[in-house]
Amino acid sequence: MTVSALTRPGERDRLVVKFSEIDWLFSFALCLIAGAGALMMFSIAGSSWEPWAGAHLLRFGILFVVMVVLAMVDLRVWFALAYPLYGLGLVLLVLVEAIGDVRMGAQRWLDLGPLGSFQPSEVMKLGIVLALARFYHSISADDARFSWWLLIPILMIGAPVLLVAHQPDLGTAMLILMTGVAVVVLAGLDWRVIATGLGAAAVAVPPMVMFVLHDYQRKRIFTFLDPESDPSGSGYHILQSKIALGSGGFLGKGYGLGSQSQLNFLPEKQTDFIFATLAEEFGFVGCFSVLFLYAVVIFMALRTASLAHSHFGRLSAAGVTATFSLYVMINGGMVMGLAPVVGVPMPMLSYGGTVMATVMIGFGLVQAVRVHRYSEVTSGKGSFL
Amino acid sequence: MSEPSIFFTEVNERQGVFHRRAFLMGGLSGLGLLALTGRLAHLQLVEAQRYEKMSASNQFNFRLVPPPRGLIVDRNGVVLASNRPNFRLLVSKDGKLDPADTLKTLANFVPLDAERQTRLTKDLIRAPKRSPVSVMEDMSWEQFSAINVRAPELPGVTADMGEVRVYPHGGAFAHVIGYVAKVNKEDLAPTGPNSEAIMLHPGFRIGRQGVEKAFDLPLRGRPGAQKVEVDANGREVRQDSGGDIPATPGKEIQLSLDADIQTRALEVMGDESGAVVMLDCRTGDVLCMASAPSFDANRFVRGMTGSEYRALANYERKPLLDKAMSGLYPPGSTFKPTVALAALEAGIDPEQRVNCTGGWYYGGRTWRCWKHGGHGSQNMHDAIKNSCDVYFYQTALRVGPDPIARAAHALGFGQVFDLGIPGQKKGVVGSREWKRKAVKREPVWQPGDSVSYGIGQGYINVNALQLAVMTARLANGRKALNPRLVRSIGGKEMPSGAAVPDLPFKQEHIDYVRGGMIAVANDVSGTAYRQSQLGLGDVMMAGKTGTAQVRSYDNVADRNSASVQWKLKDHNLFVAFAPYDAPRYALSVIVEHGGLGGATAGAPRAREVMRVALLKDPEIRARIEKPLPMPELTPDGLAEGAAPEAPVAGAPPNLPPPGGHI
Repeated sequence: MTVSALTRPGERDRLVVKFSEIDWLFSFALCLIAGAGALMMFSIAGSSWEPWAGAHLLRFGILFVVMVVLAMVDLRVWFALAYPLYGLGLVLLVLVEAIGDVRMGAQRWLDLGPLGSFQPSEVMKLGIVLALARFYHSISADDARFSWWLLIPILMIGAPVLLVAHQPDLGTAMLILMTGVAVVVLAGLDWRVIATGLGAAAVAVPPMVMFVLHDYQRKRIFTFLDPESDPSGSGYHILQSKIALGSGGFLGKGYGLGSQSQLNFLPEKQTDFIFATLAEEFGFVGCFSVLFLYAVVIFMALRTASLAHSHFGRLSAAGVTATFSLYVMINGGMVMGLAPVVGVPMPMLSYGGTVMATVMIGFGLVQAVRVHRYSEVTSGKGSFL
Repeated sequence: MSEPSIFFTEVNERQGVFHRRAFLMGGLSGLGLLALTGRLAHLQLVEAQRYEKMSASNQFNFRLVPPPRGLIVDRNGVVLASNRPNFRLLVSKDGKLDPADTLKTLANFVPLDAERQTRLTKDLIRAPKRSPVSVMEDMSWEQFSAINVRAPELPGVTADMGEVRVYPHGGAFAHVIGYVAKVNKEDLAPTGPNSEAIMLHPGFRIGRQGVEKAFDLPLRGRPGAQKVEVDANGREVRQDSGGDIPATPGKEIQLSLDADIQTRALEVMGDESGAVVMLDCRTGDVLCMASAPSFDANRFVRGMTGSEYRALANYERKPLLDKAMSGLYPPGSTFKPTVALAALEAGIDPEQRVNCTGGWYYGGRTWRCWKHGGHGSQNMHDAIKNSCDVYFYQTALRVGPDPIARAAHALGFGQVFDLGIPGQKKGVVGSREWKRKAVKREPVWQPGDSVSYGIGQGYINVNALQLAVMTARLANGRKALNPRLVRSIGGKEMPSGAAVPDLPFKQEHIDYVRGGMIAVANDVSGTAYRQSQLGLGDVMMAGKTGTAQVRSYDNVADRNSASVQWKLKDHNLFVAFAPYDAPRYALSVIVEHGGLGGATAGAPRAREVMRVALLKDPEIRARIEKPLPMPELTPDGLAEGAAPEAPVAGAPPNLPPPGGHI
C-alpha cells in the first residue's frame, strides 16, 4: 500500500487499514512488560505457572485482543460514549456507596454475582479522561485558560474524587484527581491558576493529613517519612522492599534466587511490590530495562496524542498516558521508598486484573486515537450524544 | 509531519497549547523516570552492599548450637562428669502458635498430664519469641521418631538431639563437682559471658555448685552455629551446612580426686553423716573429699520436683551440705598433736610428766579426763597415745593460747585454701587477739579457755579439709602443703600444693608428735590400736582420735549411752596418715554424732579408705608384696609398753586389745 493510497477518502475506514495503523511497536513494548511480569510471577511461585504467571498472561492476552478491538472503534463513538461512561461511573460509585461490599475496611467493591466483583472507581479513571476531553473539545482555548466554564471540570473531577475518597480509597481518589488535573492542565489552564492551585495544595495538605485522613492512612504517611522507625510494623513493607532492591545490586541475585521475595520477606510480592522482586533477581540492569520500556510506552502514547487532529483525541490519549505515567511513578516511588505505601500496582507488571483492564482499555483508546488521528470529531458543544 | 492529512481543520490555538503542554508532560514523565532510575542506581549500585547484608540477615539465621560441656575426670582419667545424648522435644512460639492446643496434640505422643500442660502453656506464653521451650527431655527413640515424622503438621514443634550432663558416679562427687541446671532469669547478666545468647538455648545448662559452678566458663566452651535459611515467618527452609561454625567443646578439667578412694569413702560412711578428706602428703593433692550422706546430682540436672527437693533439704543429716568444707566441728582430741607441737616449740620438755587421776581441779571446777580412772603418770608421748585430757589441760594452760594458735595456723587451721571451688568455711582458731575482737560479751581470754582449748574444745572450730591438711603437713613433716583439688584445666597443669614454704617447726618436734600419733595406732595401748591395723604387712598407719562434744556433759551421767538421741551424740573424729615411716596419704574422717572416742566410728572408716589408697599405689603394693625378711618378724612390738618409736611390725591386725580403751 502506498502512502498516497491512504489519502483516498474512506480508505482509512477500511478495517485492514485501521489494523495496520495500530502502533505495533507500542503494543510490543506492552507485551514485553506483561511478559516480564509473568516471568517474575513464575519465579516467585517457585517456577510454577500457578497461581499467578499463567493467569497473568491469559488475562493480558485477552485484554490485548480487547485493546486491538477497541482500536478499531471510531473516535466519534468514543466521543459519543464519553459522557455516558462518566455518568455510569458516577452512578456505580453512588451504588457502591449504598450497597457495596466492605473488603479490608473499605467499601470499594461492587458484587456482580456470577461475573465476580469489580471496583467502579476503575471505570471512573477512564471516564474522567473521556469526559474532560469531550468537555474541552467543545470550548475554546481562551475558555480553557480561565473562565467560568472551568467550574464544570472542577465539578466533574470533584464528584468522583470525593466519592472514592469516602470509600475510603485514597490512592485511587488521588489518581483520579491527578488524572483530571493533568487533562485540565494539558487543555491549557492558565499558569497563574496552576501556580495558585499548587500553592493552595501545599498549604492544605498538612491539615488534611492531620484531620481528615484515617488513622491507617496517616500512619502510612508517617511511616513513609521515617520507615526505619518501626521496621517490624508499618515500616516493614518499605524496608523490605528497599532491601530487596538494594540487595539486587547491578546484575541481581539471579532468576529464582531472590531471597527477599522467595522467602516471603517482601510483602505483596506478586502485586504491588513485583518491581522489587524484579529488582532483586535482575538487579539494576533488569530494572533499567523495564523502566526504559515504560518510558517507551509513555513517550509513544504521548506522540500518538500529539499526532491527533481532534482535540478530543489529543486530550483523551494524553489523559490515559498521564494515568499510566502516574501509576508507574507512584508505584516506582513506593517500591523505592520515595512515596508512601498506597495500593497502586505497577501497570502491566503487577498481578491483578482490574488495573490491567483499565490500562489496556485505556490503551485501546490511545490506539484508537492513533488509528483515527485524522478523523474529524464534530464539536459536540451542547449535545450529549 | 510527513504524512499528508486532508482532515485538518483546526490549526488553532488549542493545538499549540496542547503541544506545548504535552511536551511538558513528556518532560515531567521523563524527569520522573529519571528520578526513579537515579534512586535505583543509588539503592542498587551505591548502597548495594548495605542492603545485601540486610538481605542476608533476613535470609539466614544462625541457630546456636550449644557446645559439649567439658568433661571432668579424676586423677587417673576416670570420668566424673560427662555428657550423654538426649532426645528433646521443643516448642517454639512463632506468631500463630496456640500453646495449649499444641501441647494437647503433643500429649498424644508423649506423656503430658494436664498439670504439666498448664505449666508449659504458661512457660510458652512467657517465653521470648522464637526461643524454644523444652517440653520433654529424655524421650525414647520411639517418641522421638513419632514426633519427627509428624513435625510438618506441628508448627513450632521440633524434636532434636541434644546433650545432657551425666554424673556416672551418682552422688559420690556431688558436693565437689556440683551439678548443672537450667538457666534462671537471675543468671542472665547485661554484659559479660552471662549475657550471651546461648544462655537462652533450651539445651544450655549452667554450673550450680562446686567445680561445675567455679569453672563454669572453661567448661562451657564456645557455642557453634548452624546456618539455616529461614523465611519471613522464621520457619526453617533449609540448612546450609557449609556455613556452620563448629562448637568448641568446653575444656576438660582434671581433678586430683581418685574415684576409687572417693567411692570407697562414701561407701564406708554408709548412712552416717560426716566427711572424709584425704590428701597426698607429698603433693597436697586432694585424693578424696566426700561428704555423707550425698545426693544424686543427676536428679538436679533433670530438674527436681518440689517434694523431692524438700525431702533432701529437710533431712536431718543434711545431704545438701558439703560437710568436708563447710561443716565446722570442734576438733576435739585431734587437736592435741597441734597443742603438743606448740608446747614443744614453746620449750616445754616432753618428758615432764603429769599425773592424771581422771580429773583436774582448776579454776573452781573439775576438768575431767575422758578416762574415769585416769591415765596415771603421763609424758607427752603417752598423753598423745592415750589422748590424756588432763595432760593437755595443764600443758595448754602453761603454753597459753597464742602459741597454740600460731601452731594451729601453721598447720592449716583457721584458713581457707585455694581449692578453686567455693564453699569453704574458715572456722575459728582462738587467741587472745581473736577473742578481744570476736567475743564482745567477754573479750578477755580466761585461763579456763586455754584449758578446754588444750583438748580442742571451746574457741576452736575446724572443718574436715583443715584436719586433713593438718595431718598432711605433720605427715610431710617439712612442707606447709596446700591442698590442690584441680589438677589441670584443658591440659594446663595447675600449681602443685607442694610449692610452698617449710613448716615453722623444728624437725625433731614434728618427729616427736608424729611418734605419738604412731603410737595411737600401733601401740597396743593406743586409743585406736585395734581399729588402725591395715593388714598390709609393714605398711602401717598413724593417727589420732577425737571426740567433739555437741553439748555440755557437766550434768549428764552417761555420755556413752546407746539411749542418747542421735542428734545429741558426740561427733567422732579421726585423722591418720600412712605409711607412718614414709607418709604418702593423710586423711581425716568426721562422723557426725558418731559417739564417744574417735576409734569407734572414725578409725575403722579411715582404715578402709586408707587401704584403698595404699593398695592402689604401685610402690606401696610392691612393698607389701615383697616377702619380708624372716629375722625382722620377731614380735617384739607386741609387748606392752614397748618403745614408742618402735613400729609394731607384723602385728596381727585383729589382735584384741589388752585394755578397754577407746
